[in-house]
Amino acid sequence: MEEPNGAGGWLIMRMTVVMKHTKLYLMTLCLGGALGALGYRLVDLQVARHEEFQALARQNTVRTIEWRPVRGQIMDIRGTPLAISQPAKVICADPSLIGPLRQSVTRILAPLLQTNEAFLAERLLPRAYEENGKTNTSKYVVLKRKVPLATWEKIRQTMSSLSVGVVESNLNSRDKAFYRNLRTQAIFPEDDNIRYYPGQRLAAHVVGFVAGDDEETGLSGIECSFNTKLAGVAGWRKTELDRRKRELVPYRDEDVAAHDGLNVVLTLDAGLQNIVESELAVGAEKHSPISLSCIMVRPRTGEILAMATLPNFDPNHPGASTMDALRNRVISDVAEPGSTYKIVVVTAGLNERLITPNELFDCGMGQFIYAGRTLHDHKPFGPLTVEQIITKSSNIGAAKIGIRLGEESLWQYMRCFGFGERTGIQLPAEVPGIVHAVTNWSKVSIAQIPMGQGVAVTSLQMVMAMCAIANDGVLMRPMLVSRLDEPGGKTVVQYEPQPVRRVARPETIREMVKALKTVPTKDGTAPNARLDHYTVAGKTGTASKAENGKYVDKFYSSFIGFFPADNPELCISVVLDDPKDGHYGGDTAAPIFRAIAERAANYLNLKPDIAPEPAEPSILTATAGGGRQ
Amino acid sequence: MARNRKNDAALRAGPVLSAVALCALFAGLGLGYVWYKDQIDLLGRQIKDHESRLAVLQGQNKTRRVQLAILISPGALDARVKQLKLGLGPTALSQVIRLIDAPDYEQAAKAPLPPEPRPVKVALAARKN
Repeated sequence: MEEPNGAGGWLIMRMTVVMKHTKLYLMTLCLGGALGALGYRLVDLQVARHEEFQALARQNTVRTIEWRPVRGQIMDIRGTPLAISQPAKVICADPSLIGPLRQSVTRILAPLLQTNEAFLAERLLPRAYEENGKTNTSKYVVLKRKVPLATWEKIRQTMSSLSVGVVESNLNSRDKAFYRNLRTQAIFPEDDNIRYYPGQRLAAHVVGFVAGDDEETGLSGIECSFNTKLAGVAGWRKTELDRRKRELVPYRDEDVAAHDGLNVVLTLDAGLQNIVESELAVGAEKHSPISLSCIMVRPRTGEILAMATLPNFDPNHPGASTMDALRNRVISDVAEPGSTYKIVVVTAGLNERLITPNELFDCGMGQFIYAGRTLHDHKPFGPLTVEQIITKSSNIGAAKIGIRLGEESLWQYMRCFGFGERTGIQLPAEVPGIVHAVTNWSKVSIAQIPMGQGVAVTSLQMVMAMCAIANDGVLMRPMLVSRLDEPGGKTVVQYEPQPVRRVARPETIREMVKALKTVPTKDGTAPNARLDHYTVAGKTGTASKAENGKYVDKFYSSFIGFFPADNPELCISVVLDDPKDGHYGGDTAAPIFRAIAERAANYLNLKPDIAPEPAEPSILTATAGGGRQ
Repeated sequence: MARNRKNDAALRAGPVLSAVALCALFAGLGLGYVWYKDQIDLLGRQIKDHESRLAVLQGQNKTRRVQLAILISPGALDARVKQLKLGLGPTALSQVIRLIDAPDYEQAAKAPLPPEPRPVKVALAARKN
């Protein structure tokens, strides 16, 4: 480079230096500006919009997983499960991963999920939705809930071996990823439970059933009345997921385990329930009634050992049954009880000392005119003692006792025996029955009510009234739940027998039991209820059914009895609604009572109170004896 | 001079060793931190695996509980007995002999004696033959 000369040279040199520095300044300025911009962006991202981006980041990674509790079991008193929850799956899909193969996937899944193709195709259609101003495609749809594990396994295998009719090795990486995701991630499961009733129809009305929804809400029976106890409390886990949606265990934040529902242990005995239901089925086949019910109670405690109604239903498929079959008629149907109600008026008369067991009442040879109405007996009877009124089930005799007792007193005893109010059993839909106030009685009511007309009761109320007589005059509250247990077996709540009130003095009850013992004899109305090894005390009932305000030629037939009569272990009620092939309680209900009682006594190994007749010596004994002679 | 150089070398070794020690410390801390993080990750994965295994076992347990419930339900037992034609049934009350654990001898003495077994002609005739 040539040296500059003079002032001009200096100027050139000076300009050259300035230009060099200007470049430096410009570069510094540019770099400074860029750095400033970066700094600004940094501050903007890290400070100014920190909350916004932190929320977005957490939305992408943080997940709250809900732990659903397992619904508690319902068990009988011996621990036999009557309702149990088993693991199942909710089958879900990501429509965005299925894309154009929707129809193929639908055709494969429909038979496995047992749903129609149109429904599935509609569910698998990708839907657009807006969120925070952005348009997204739905990535989660539920295809079916309560799917058994085996079905899910089939779905998984089918999807993983899905053939789409293209040579995938020739595809580009994006298409390969699409097919890989379709096979492994497009259809995925979530945990679920299915409520299962292993006994199927066994004790269906008592156990009840749950709704088929996500929450398994109890709709009837114990499932409904103990729903909150059975349901348990959900838990949750707040955690972070990686890009492949795997949980990052070290980043777990909150982890609260679900508290499974409590097990409800019933007083019911599945063995006895099975006996009752099988004998009712035999009775139903023989008499073809509209319905047939039976309750078995331990009189001293009020524990219900069996409760059955036919027609019944399978709680695993409640929708397959009619509404009539779903109804627990034992507590929700009322009817005039008929002659079984005579126990109330006779007990009342004896307890008030207005009558004695041997006092004679003229039964008018089957006709008695009172308040302009003629009352009848099923047979013409002359004078009968109070005990014989029970034995023969004389309507006129009972009416005359009622008249002597008086309206107010009779009404009080009816209420005292628990009629006209709910028994308090731990089941939903119990009705109180109909007991009119005395002011609403007609003139003939005092003669009709003692024979079980003009009053409507439930089968449960009637059997509990008989239990009060079996229990030395103490009315007990029916008890269906024995205890609530934690899943581990620890008892949380223990229910105790609850006496309601005393309905009569023990001396009265002894006289009453003596009278009731004469019913299952050849002189009584229920010789078919007699047991070989136990003394039975009971009462038959045959009530005409009323339709459109008139009595018609249809009947409620019943027998309620307890045994051993002097130390009662079981009280059993059998009720038939409109039986064919006979309509008297002694002909229809009593044989069913006998069959149930014999098998139940055998099952419970009850000690007989009738000494067996000496058996004929066996050949072996005779031979041995002869040998010594 | 040589002595001074020797002293200089001794003086210079101290900072070098300190620097090396410091570097080693930082390196150790760094490696320890990585190892520690790795252990956390490893244990997290192990926990997840065990939880998955536990969930599977609990699921199997529940399934077996259901199977057991089905097997012990009275209806299923009745059906099985009928299917296998075992001829099983409850013992009739007439077949049950009840024994008293602690007999009351005074009461027993008062009780009527059981009937004497009667010889059966058929059996005696058989003996003659």
